[in-house]
Amino acid sequence: MFNEYVLTVISNIGMISLIALSAYLLLITGEISFGQQAFFGISAYAGAVASTLWGWPFWLALLFGSILAALAAGLVGVLTLRISGMYFSIATLAFAEMVRLSLYKLTYQIEVDGELIGPNGAEGFGEIRWIFDHDISVLEYTIMIYGVLLLVLIFLALIERSRLGMIFRMLGEDPLLSRTLGLDPVRYKVSAAVIAGFIAGLGGTLYAHSFTYIEPQIFNVMLGVHSLAYGLIGGLGTVLGPLIGVAIDIGFLESIRIFQGYRMIVFGGLVAVMLIFMPRGILDEDRIYRIKAVTRKWFNA
Amino acid sequence: MTDFVQNCIDGLMFGSGYALLALGFTLVFGVMKRLNLSFGPSIMLGAYVGTWVYLNISDNTWLVALVTLIATITVGAYVERLCFRAIRRDATIASMVSSFAIWMQLEEIAMHLLPERTYPFPAFFTTTTLEFGPFYARSEHITMLLLTLALLILLHAFLFRTRLGLALRTVSDNPLASAYMGINGSNILFLAFALVSVLGGLAGFLILSADSQVTPFFGLWATFKGLIAMMLGGMGSLPGAILGGLLLGVVEANAFWYGGPVIRDLSAYLLLFVMLIVRPGGLIGQRIVAEQRAADERV
Repeated sequence: MFNEYVLTVISNIGMISLIALSAYLLLITGEISFGQQAFFGISAYAGAVASTLWGWPFWLALLFGSILAALAAGLVGVLTLRISGMYFSIATLAFAEMVRLSLYKLTYQIEVDGELIGPNGAEGFGEIRWIFDHDISVLEYTIMIYGVLLLVLIFLALIERSRLGMIFRMLGEDPLLSRTLGLDPVRYKVSAAVIAGFIAGLGGTLYAHSFTYIEPQIFNVMLGVHSLAYGLIGGLGTVLGPLIGVAIDIGFLESIRIFQGYRMIVFGGLVAVMLIFMPRGILDEDRIYRIKAVTRKWFNA
Repeated sequence: MTDFVQNCIDGLMFGSGYALLALGFTLVFGVMKRLNLSFGPSIMLGAYVGTWVYLNISDNTWLVALVTLIATITVGAYVERLCFRAIRRDATIASMVSSFAIWMQLEEIAMHLLPERTYPFPAFFTTTTLEFGPFYARSEHITMLLLTLALLILLHAFLFRTRLGLALRTVSDNPLASAYMGINGSNILFLAFALVSVLGGLAGFLILSADSQVTPFFGLWATFKGLIAMMLGGMGSLPGAILGGLLLGVVEANAFWYGGPVIRDLSAYLLLFVMLIVRPGGLIGQRIVAEQRAADERV
């Protein structure tokens, strides 16, 4: 039932969902980042270096890459505190491009088992063979990806139910009101950026080990814009929104052959039309609220 | 030292192309307070249609220029309808994201029109190299620099000396008051967008015919260079766009000479990032940021 191709699409959806969730978290705090691909990329390189060149265990490498991504995100968050709106978006875009271009200059190679491997500028970084060395099948790796994704979803759902989540949404809805209530936007904006960076980082290391080859060009601005668009299509009312967006794009448009060569035309048009008719996506706050009301009635009846 | 001066001259020449693109960007921002990220790809699609005519119908340079202009205006109108008119005026971010989505669309349409990597673009200029003592400059670049300055003066005169320009500024400053004055804001905005498309088509044609080739990367290149140049100079300021473009050109030319192509692009983004953090309003656009902030505080 699950052939290799279907599994690859499914695991792709899982990994890209992570970067989409990271863009989503910033979206609900009211900031549009064109630069989440930078943290995805930083973690992909760092995690792969840790597991392949330094021989670290996979989970430690995953943690290492994601923490590094979170630190970088925190740094950008602190630096961009004074700016918001378009200025913030363009600044994150500039940062992400700086990271991507720096990767072209990054060469760090070590001899492992008689072979020289490691990031090599524009040549990319191949032979990330942790999956092969440990005999992990595509199915097993897909399950690992979805395990991580599930943890992230639970974590985000818990945040949304907590005070922190309310504050995030309030910052997005009305920054002035939150300031009037005596909330310090600085603290919350930076913490949102750090969490988002960490989540994008999880996706990055998973991605590097799944594809066994990465190059700077993968982490270009189109990846960031896509991850942003997923949340906007799927909906900003719930953490499941971005997943719907990813499923529509990768699961439907990329995998179905009819759209070959016309995917961007369909997807771009879809995003533009969605922004006109449902500016906060399919599952927006309103609809989620109504769905919740209905389910509550069912359970109480 | 000679190298450095020559780099600066080269930079000013390339910078005039950036400045032309930045003029279009800054005009959209000045009028609509929104960013049109698919500006570059619209120009590219226009140029692709022009190239298609050049390859398949006629090699008359004037005809190609005309077709490029008309195609760019058509694409510009499409973008305006879908990303700007249809979205609420105050939803600046939605317009920006929407224009990015349309970007992907335009790029793929262009690829279907002309699927190869590189196509020749008709050279409009006769190339001669001018020598000033130990320094060199290509004649087409000097023409471009002069044209850019002329366009700046023309635009400035249009905005500040004509009734139409006054109407445009009114719509931009206070849409409600302009509606009370009987100005049709919608038409004015469309006119502004058409004007920007003309500027874009002109910029695209001049830059491409100086390079005498067109590639699918032109859209991305044009948007990013124009955007960086505009932001360096200051969003919404016409002289700022020129200044930003020339500054970007000079920095890039030197970075390229001393570090190669990757360092050149890296330095451009670094410059933009630092400028946004330190002075979000750019070299001379600080007033606009201050006004926006004041408007936010007032709410």
